Amino acid sequence: MSGVEIPFKISIPDVELELLRKKLDLVTFPDELQDAEWRYGVPLSDMKRLVARWKDGFDWRAVEKKLNNELPQFTRDIEVAGHGKLTIHYVHKKSTLETAIPLLFVHGWPGSFIEVEKILPSLVETSEDGSFPSFHVVTFSLPGYGFSEGARKPGFAAKQYAEVGNKLMLSLGYNEYVTQGGDLGRAITYKMAQVYGGKHVKAWHTNMPSSLGIPAPTLTSHPILYLQSLFKPLTPAEKAGIERSKWFDTEGKAYFWEQATQPQTLGYSMSDSPTGLLAWIYEKLVNWSDAYPWTDDEVLTWVSMYYFSQAGPAASARIYYEMWHELGTGFAGAVKNPPRIPMGASYFPKELNVSPRSWVRTVGNLVFESVHSSGGHFAAHEKPDELVEDLRNMFGRGKGKPGPAYGVVSGRNGFQPA
Amino acid sequence: MSSSEQSFKISIPDSALESLQKKLALATFPDELELDSDEERRKYGAPLAHVQRLVERWKTRTPDIANGSGMATDKEGFDWRRAEAKLNEDLSPMFTRDIEVEGFGTLNLHYVHRKSVKEVDGKGRKPVPLLFVHGWPGSVIEVRKILPLLTNPENEDDLPFHVVAPSLPGFGFSEAPKKKGFNLTQYAEIFNKLMLALGYNEYVTQGGDWGFYITRRMAQLYGHTHIKAWHTNYPGPGALEPTFTTQPLHYLQHLFTPYTATEKAALERSKWFSTQGMGYNIEQSTQPQTLGYSLADSPVGLLAWIYEKLVNWTDGYKWDDDEVLEWMSIYWLSRAGPAASLRIYYEVTQANQRQIPAREKPTIPMGWSRFPQELRSFPRTWTENVGNLVFDSEHPSGGHFAAHEEPEKLVGDLRRMFEKHW
Repeated sequence: MSGVEIPFKISIPDVELELLRKKLDLVTFPDELQDAEWRYGVPLSDMKRLVARWKDGFDWRAVEKKLNNELPQFTRDIEVAGHGKLTIHYVHKKSTLETAIPLLFVHGWPGSFIEVEKILPSLVETSEDGSFPSFHVVTFSLPGYGFSEGARKPGFAAKQYAEVGNKLMLSLGYNEYVTQGGDLGRAITYKMAQVYGGKHVKAWHTNMPSSLGIPAPTLTSHPILYLQSLFKPLTPAEKAGIERSKWFDTEGKAYFWEQATQPQTLGYSMSDSPTGLLAWIYEKLVNWSDAYPWTDDEVLTWVSMYYFSQAGPAASARIYYEMWHELGTGFAGAVKNPPRIPMGASYFPKELNVSPRSWVRTVGNLVFESVHSSGGHFAAHEKPDELVEDLRNMFGRGKGKPGPAYGVVSGRNGFQPA
Repeated sequence: MSSSEQSFKISIPDSALESLQKKLALATFPDELELDSDEERRKYGAPLAHVQRLVERWKTRTPDIANGSGMATDKEGFDWRRAEAKLNEDLSPMFTRDIEVEGFGTLNLHYVHRKSVKEVDGKGRKPVPLLFVHGWPGSVIEVRKILPLLTNPENEDDLPFHVVAPSLPGFGFSEAPKKKGFNLTQYAEIFNKLMLALGYNEYVTQGGDWGFYITRRMAQLYGHTHIKAWHTNYPGPGALEPTFTTQPLHYLQHLFTPYTATEKAALERSKWFSTQGMGYNIEQSTQPQTLGYSLADSPVGLLAWIYEKLVNWTDGYKWDDDEVLEWMSIYWLSRAGPAASLRIYYEVTQANQRQIPAREKPTIPMGWSRFPQELRSFPRTWTENVGNLVFDSEHPSGGHFAAHEEPEKLVGDLRRMFEKHW
């Protein structure tokens, strides 16, 4: 089922850094229309500045050192039915409290395992006065991303990613655990909740409850919710959310369509041109976040995770192909067979798809909701304190009042045993 | 309006060819899933073995790994200078000319202009001036095979043509617009001005892909006054399925008379294109600049992006590797660079010009040649919304690049149509 755990430190060979430098030295930029700004895509001035920094100033070795110090990393072989063994890279940080809640954090695109960086310290923290729960935190590089091997055969879709996540937790001794995920992490943890919910996954939380679009309740599908929605007018936030969703569908979804239909074709550009890869990803870092003040080095770190990935940047697009061809309707997941375990949702206004809250109730057994007035797609990176607070409220027992998912994991409620 | 023309021959500077070779020497490839056939591989995109073979052919030097210079012994590969010379010969004579476009200043336009060899044909008819408009990922290279057939027919009774074939602004050897908003109206304006400047007050057009959209706009704006008839091999969207309210007779007809096998196959192909084949289109229509960084920086990325279409969009056409590299080179070595050619998608989408209401369709005579592997196709009855269809033909083979794949058939259709409608 899974092999032995081997400690891992990121260490990209010099020859890779040399090749990157050679390519950046030969960079050819396109022209740009007058006053284009962000309308046609990433502005030329941003790209020139970022490439200049990447060549000269961005210190990859320093990034490696910092990540290796902060995030305890390992690899382990995990067998996936029909696909053989894949070497999976992961972070595992235990709380000092044995009865902390095991939490699996699942990243998405164009993110990576480093999205756990800002929330990790607070999650594993213990409280003297028992005012908030502690977590054992696990996150892995999705197969085809970061330092995990990629799938070699077709058909590696949601079920297979879910299998990897579950087997990883079991191999670490966590028979019961909870999950947190957004973007692809939402789709994967949704699948985990469907397949392993109850037995292993005891609750799931997402910052992307509407995925890439969920259907509205109808009279036949969800009569009560439907009738309720008729009488309850949309809030200004919900109206803004619909506008945001519309923007995403009409202007922001092309990456999805190319990755879901011709990932290999795109892969040649991503592999051969670090500048092309940078533009493809940077556009999303800006468009998908809520005025987050990305530093150039932060951007280059995120892009480097793709450029230096074990499987190469082309592999990361294949999950879109596999999942879309399997589901046919994108990542919303079938509304029939919704997971029954407790679900938590955090709403951030600049998420890509923001549906009215009544619709979210069709997704799962919604027991926890938290509405935020700022923040975008990369919740753990943009709003780490808020996300941690939401998880503490969902799973904790602040001020004597148990959260809606308090104690879901047997014997591990996140607090000192009485 | 437009100043006097200059003679033109393609002549790419050595430095551009050297820079290409330097990048190719560093070519880095992705892996590929384990799949059993090219058919399976193509589902994910351009197959790795083909792309690698083409890149290898494109290189003119064997990389010298030992001294790391990337430049060592010459090897037999794609010879751009030889291709360039042949293009200059086959597309001659070529010219450039400055043309003013309202709101955009002057643009320097590159074009082929070859007059008919004979001044009258065996039946005493004068040559028909024909404007040929290419699309993406094509170029003026698409006129290469039909040019001699149109201007110098073997049979002296065959209707001859004068042919004008420009590079679209932003493509090939034409300048690109510098400002936002250069949409179908501007392409129409510049090409009409070109024809008038060449002395063709009345003319006909042929176009597929963007050529269809541009010539349709031209037919709307200059139909009757300057354009007498228009022909396309790509009917585009806008052909709508008849409903009981829009086209009651056709609707009822199709309830009782099912679509033919050809029509059904064409609908399947259209469905494939709209669900599986539109990724490039949506990116180019929404974020062309983002994609542009990849295509401008990586000849390998550009090759894959275009090669995928050359295969998927044709009907088993046997591309020669050097042929592919020629098409590729026109984009890589283009005057404005490959990123500029993407913007037409964005501008037309923003201006909402793809679909036009039936009441705005051009009224001049329209011809349509149907090739089975075209990306979109519709039963004939649906095209009443698209134009005043006076001629249509159906062929047993051929795809999106009709002039390149089936030059004789296309030219035959143009003769049959324009004999009557000119």
